[in-house]
Amino acid sequence: MSLHDKTAPSQTDAITFEIELRHAPAKVWRALTEPELLAEWLLPTLGLELEIGRPFTLQTQPYPGWDGKVDCQVLEIEEHRRLRYAWVVAGMGLDTVVTFTLSPTASGTLLSIVQSGFKPEQKQNFGGARYGWKMMGGKLVDLLARPT
Amino acid sequence: MHAVAVETKIFQALADPSRRAIFESLTSGELAVKDLTRRFAISQPAVSQHLAALKDAGLVDGRREGRCVYYRVEPRGMKPLIDWIAHYRAFWADRVDRLEKLLEKMDE
Repeated sequence: MSLHDKTAPSQTDAITFEIELRHAPAKVWRALTEPELLAEWLLPTLGLELEIGRPFTLQTQPYPGWDGKVDCQVLEIEEHRRLRYAWVVAGMGLDTVVTFTLSPTASGTLLSIVQSGFKPEQKQNFGGARYGWKMMGGKLVDLLARPT
Repeated sequence: MHAVAVETKIFQALADPSRRAIFESLTSGELAVKDLTRRFAISQPAVSQHLAALKDAGLVDGRREGRCVYYRVEPRGMKPLIDWIAHYRAFWADRVDRLEKLLEKMDE
């Protein structure tokens, strides 16, 4: 298992992952920046260009009341090293930044993914949160059939 | 209102199969009460009661136009149920898995 969730249990404003990949940074960079590759592992993109300040869209799964669009904006590009963009769903109160950092290693690349900017109060939504997301995954009926 | 109370309201509002069906049909667009009555073959007072429960939970909103009342999904209604951090932890774990598979497939 090469994926490490580095998020501290007490951390409420960011999540951090580190992944050891057996592939060179240049190749990983392509997977992070080419729309047709991004569509295969992350999400379909619309309007992505590697240009600072450039807005683009990620299309995720729609659910009741949300078309599933994530509004992004390129904030930092350092080829084969670092890519940072805003990751925002304004109507749902999500205003975060995602940073991909690539470090060359003897065997390939250490990729770190950090998503930061979560608002602390969102942690209070402990009760139904996991159900909320399962609903969006299409399990609405099963879950809600349970007694509340 | 306390967050947990809101969540309870949402779950209770959606626990009823008819209300759930009404809510789901509104997700594709605004509908008049009479459209819903026709679609679900239940009485207008029953539909109105279901809509009132959904509205009370903040899941839908209504507006009157002439003699018709139109309802639509309230986009922020589900917000109390969303824990973005939990969601994105699961999301990235899943996506990284896919990234590794993709990298195996890609040409050098």
